[in-house]
Amino acid sequence: MWLDLLQTAIDGLMVGGLYTTVALGITLVFGLVGILNFAHGQMVMLGAYVAFFTVASGMPFWLGLTLAALSMALVGGVLERFIFRRTLTDPMAGLTVSLGIIMIVENLAAGAFTPNPRFMDAPLEGSWQWGPVTLPAQRLLVLAVAVALIAVFYIFLRKARLGKAIRAMAQNRQGASLVGVRTTQVSAAIFVIGSALAGAAGALYASLYSISPYMGMTPLMKGFILAAFGGLGSVPGAILAGFLLGMSESFGARYLSAAFRDGYGFVLLIVVLLVLPNGLLGTRKGRI
Amino acid sequence: MPARRSLLRPFVLLGLSSFFALASIHATAANEVKLGLLGSLTGPHAGWDAPASEGAHMAVSEINAAGGVKVAGKSYALRIVEEDSQSKPDFAVSGAQKILSDDDVHVMFGMMVSTPGMASAVPIAKAKVLYVGGFTLMDSLLGKPGNELMFRSLPSDEITGKYFVPEVTKRLGLKKMGILYPNEDATRAVAKVYQQLFEKAGVEIPVIEFFQPGTTDFAPVLRKFQNKGLDGLFLGNSDPDTEAMVRQSLELGGLPKKFVYRGGSGAPAAKYVDRIDAFAWQILTRDLDTSTDPKVTSWIERYKKFSKKSVNSTTYWALTYYDSVFMVARAMEAAGTTTDPKAIAAKLRGSAYDGVRRIRYDNEGRAHADVDIGLIQGGKSLSLPVKVD
Repeated sequence: MWLDLLQTAIDGLMVGGLYTTVALGITLVFGLVGILNFAHGQMVMLGAYVAFFTVASGMPFWLGLTLAALSMALVGGVLERFIFRRTLTDPMAGLTVSLGIIMIVENLAAGAFTPNPRFMDAPLEGSWQWGPVTLPAQRLLVLAVAVALIAVFYIFLRKARLGKAIRAMAQNRQGASLVGVRTTQVSAAIFVIGSALAGAAGALYASLYSISPYMGMTPLMKGFILAAFGGLGSVPGAILAGFLLGMSESFGARYLSAAFRDGYGFVLLIVVLLVLPNGLLGTRKGRI
Repeated sequence: MPARRSLLRPFVLLGLSSFFALASIHATAANEVKLGLLGSLTGPHAGWDAPASEGAHMAVSEINAAGGVKVAGKSYALRIVEEDSQSKPDFAVSGAQKILSDDDVHVMFGMMVSTPGMASAVPIAKAKVLYVGGFTLMDSLLGKPGNELMFRSLPSDEITGKYFVPEVTKRLGLKKMGILYPNEDATRAVAKVYQQLFEKAGVEIPVIEFFQPGTTDFAPVLRKFQNKGLDGLFLGNSDPDTEAMVRQSLELGGLPKKFVYRGGSGAPAAKYVDRIDAFAWQILTRDLDTSTDPKVTSWIERYKKFSKKSVNSTTYWALTYYDSVFMVARAMEAAGTTTDPKAIAAKLRGSAYDGVRRIRYDNEGRAHADVDIGLIQGGKSLSLPVKVD
């Protein structure tokens, strides 16, 4: 029984790590910059394809992961500079544009890559035996990479100059601007970082699951749940919410019904928002 | 006056040429039979419907190249009128309505997936056109009042399973299995059919689980099957789901390494041949990978030439409508009409056709067609032809 619980918890943590990597980008971009970017899921999808084709061409997974993050950072930068910066004052226009981007990117991807789902060769096969516990190697690797990405990102926010500027902007955009923070550039940096995280999450998805041009919707939906669940703009909140969501889905599917898997997250979200209307660690203003 | 005449000349010429052009179009239309084709050419169902559409286009191209459909001493060229249902039920309904708004369409083909397929079946049935579809839940419509003009191009699970299950049970030595299927009306019905067939074949089924469609991480639900003494898993109804389940079963350990798949390709197991004990699947049309049947190999060559694509794990679906379009064309010739769906349906019902597949329709419009069983065992891939009565 305990063994089963432990293995289910590890499954949940692994999925939670993936969700968190996506949610961090959404909570930053939506919570701090105010851009409702529904095309975030498409960046996960494109990142997954970058990793897939890198590995398929004989390159190592790590290069695929790096290229996925870098290429999506570039795509995010271009989108921010030429589209979302222009719609910043009109959230409805931004929302409409991001929906349009979903259609364009999905159909271009379907045209270029075909709609057929593909599986990438996992860099690690088999499992590790830890006493009586069997731990699938690739799942552990994904969990480790997701935790490392989250940790590096968190340290960056705490220690780096740009990270401090992001935190200052989160506390008070006008105040940050008055003390010399270039909010336009910081907003662009947030968009680029969020997109890079989406690309990295896509590469991690591809190492475990099938990828297709239509795969973006699920991580996007989970990302938005987590952004609200953790508290808009709250990075620790998104991290906590990501792991809680992963665990709730994993335990729900294992011990209740797998047919209601996505429902467990929503039940948790509703309960949390009833008790804590600003999310787990959210305040009325965005907090990092 | 001469100047005025020269000014008028271009208009007169334009008018005359327009008249002759319209007349020629009318003449073409009079010798043409329009076939409606509805399918999801985009969206997640495109993996089924896009190849199916190619198969229909290929058949039309071959029939037209051979002189078209010959009815009462006159030849008619076939032309496909196609709409994309975009993998969405509402678009399937509006696509069907758009095709049916053309009074010249008396025969329709389309829809391989049940959700949009069921939605679009309602307007198609009401329009009283002959309809050849492929989706699983179509079996629940056949034989019901008002659906007399409906035909399903693929054999039902009851018909296929009757041959597939005993053969696979024997070959794989199955005694105790688990069933893992998506939680949808159609797939729940399919799981029930196979549960009964396996039990009838002497296989115990102690665990049946249904997962949320769209699931990518099967680890938690697969753990329900761990350490239960199972020797096989009956899985999924789509290649990506099934590959994910095979792969994740191997990752988790403690799960059987024999897999039985109701889908139409061995692609989900292709990467894991050395790590599994066996993988059996239904090839609902014909084996396009290893078949040596000249009918199949010749079709593959023609398909490659027509589509400029190589054969892959979704090409099977091209055969669903390829043979069906030929069958309908033959039924039109036998009925002596291209515009009377009832007369064409009457000829189609009970008729047999020896195409790439050997297929016949019973009185309810259910196809009884040859299927192949695909098998990966001991690291080798082969197919077993099954002749359906």
